[in-house]
Amino acid sequence: MAYEVSIFLENKIGHFERITNVLKETKINIRSMAINDTVNGWGILNLLVDDPDKAYEALSEKGISVALRKVIALEMKDEAGGLDDLLLQVAQADVNFNNALGRTIQETQTAILVLNVDDYEESIAKLNAKGIKILEDQKVYGNQ
Amino acid sequence: MRKEFWQEDFEVLGKNDLKKLQVERLNATIEHAARSPYYKTLFQQKNIHKGDIKDIAQIRDLPFTTKQDLRENFPYGFLTLPKKEIIRLHSSSGTTGNPTVIFHNRHDLNSWANLMARSLFCAGIRDTDVFQNICGYGLFTGGLGFQYGIETLGALSIPAGAGNSLRQIKLMQDYGTTAAHAIPSYLGRLYEVFQSAGLDPKKDTKLKTLVIGAEPHTDEQRKRIEEMFGVRAFNSFGLSEMNGPGVAFECEYQNGLHIWEDAYVVEIVNPDTLEPVPDGEYGELVMTTLDRQSMPLIRYRTRDITRIIPGKCECGRTHRRIDRITGRSDDMFIIKGCNVFPMQIEGVLMKIPEVGSDYLITLVTLNGTDEMVVEVEVKKEWFKGDIRRLDNLTKMITAQIRDEVLAKPIVKLVEPGYIPKSEGKAVRVVDNRVNGVTKENISCS
Repeated sequence: MAYEVSIFLENKIGHFERITNVLKETKINIRSMAINDTVNGWGILNLLVDDPDKAYEALSEKGISVALRKVIALEMKDEAGGLDDLLLQVAQADVNFNNALGRTIQETQTAILVLNVDDYEESIAKLNAKGIKILEDQKVYGNQ
Repeated sequence: MRKEFWQEDFEVLGKNDLKKLQVERLNATIEHAARSPYYKTLFQQKNIHKGDIKDIAQIRDLPFTTKQDLRENFPYGFLTLPKKEIIRLHSSSGTTGNPTVIFHNRHDLNSWANLMARSLFCAGIRDTDVFQNICGYGLFTGGLGFQYGIETLGALSIPAGAGNSLRQIKLMQDYGTTAAHAIPSYLGRLYEVFQSAGLDPKKDTKLKTLVIGAEPHTDEQRKRIEEMFGVRAFNSFGLSEMNGPGVAFECEYQNGLHIWEDAYVVEIVNPDTLEPVPDGEYGELVMTTLDRQSMPLIRYRTRDITRIIPGKCECGRTHRRIDRITGRSDDMFIIKGCNVFPMQIEGVLMKIPEVGSDYLITLVTLNGTDEMVVEVEVKKEWFKGDIRRLDNLTKMITAQIRDEVLAKPIVKLVEPGYIPKSEGKAVRVVDNRVNGVTKENISCS
């Protein structure tokens, strides 16, 4: 199973850079990211990286509030309508998700959609039942 | 112009007559106090007897009383009478530690209501006025304290309570309210509601007098309120330990607050040496009740910093004037009319397992309203990346602090390590309010 790296981040100057600096020093490559804002002055930064365990350890050591969250990675075509085709299948499989990341893989003209869901096992089962293929970790992290 | 007073016999007493009255009443107070378990023991230890006081300056021979003494002898240690005689109590907020509770018999309530009526009269309010008390009723003294005063004065009282601005405006219009009491920051909000309803309080109400207190405010803020509402606004001072509102009040000259010296002995002392400071110099206000039977307090350290304004007031009242309160000699602060000790907030936070040990309280003025921002660290190990869980945590902390101190905070979760670590006496409160220097001490909610 694949993981995304979730980080508690205050909406203040320099706080994001503090995170990216730790990743730079640890030579972690970010494949994709999503950041949300809230009215409370903080948000959650979600990262897809080449080595989530190493990223978690390095950030955690620096006292940063970080968590690894299980995600489901799905493949789609890198072309107009590719995401819509995939989301239709996900909806038909009756799977809801809280947040998503996406990235393209140029070599294969494909793209990856990474979903964070409430009930991981049940969602996997529903997607499997519809014949939707779930990607392996290393492909998600861009290491293959 | 003919001078008018609520109680001319008392309000314009000559200096010597006032001192004579104080000596007489202080000896009576010592006699009453000696019936309470706390003062009985203390007076025996210190060899203090009724009739000891021949000159009011001898009050310096008596021991101080502190909030800590009140808490340690909670609830009945200061009571001089059987409970049967007591008809009301007022109490501070707080679920951590003992609250501060003050008891009253019928004499005490009548005396307080009279002082409150005298205060309102002093600010120009008469029995022909319609007085809307925009203040929380209940354990706090601002609601019932004003209520009894308005009734004693004989004005038509509207016990409106706090909040619900549209209803406040409707009451003002329906009954032709001419005078009202509220905390200054609420009046800013109320004015906005007037505006958004397309109303102008200057034209669309009959308001001519506002009484403001229970919250830090400057003379500039008073002037803004006076302009917004087209009224004169008078400063009110009181604290629950000295009954509540009606301790000191501004007169028509709006230059300091007459503190009623027939009802209280007023001292200003250096908070470190506890030695008296001369009139005009700032120090801690120390007060002794002179007309309270159930629970007299002797040389009570209010922790409020102020000074006596030297000189006579043109209004003719001989009772000295205190200046606006400029600060505290302890760490208590007042927000939205509520007295808050940082330890109360710490007590709430330390019971929540998700939050770390560091927090910071910042008092700020946002859109003209004073707010309390509480920054809290979320423990690293508790973070699971779930935004809804953090939102719920924010709501939970907000509700728990509100329950404890009665003022709703703005809770902000922050990353671990960004709040300065506490080393000994850490700074837990930063006051960035526009008018954050003056503090008063009547609680309203």
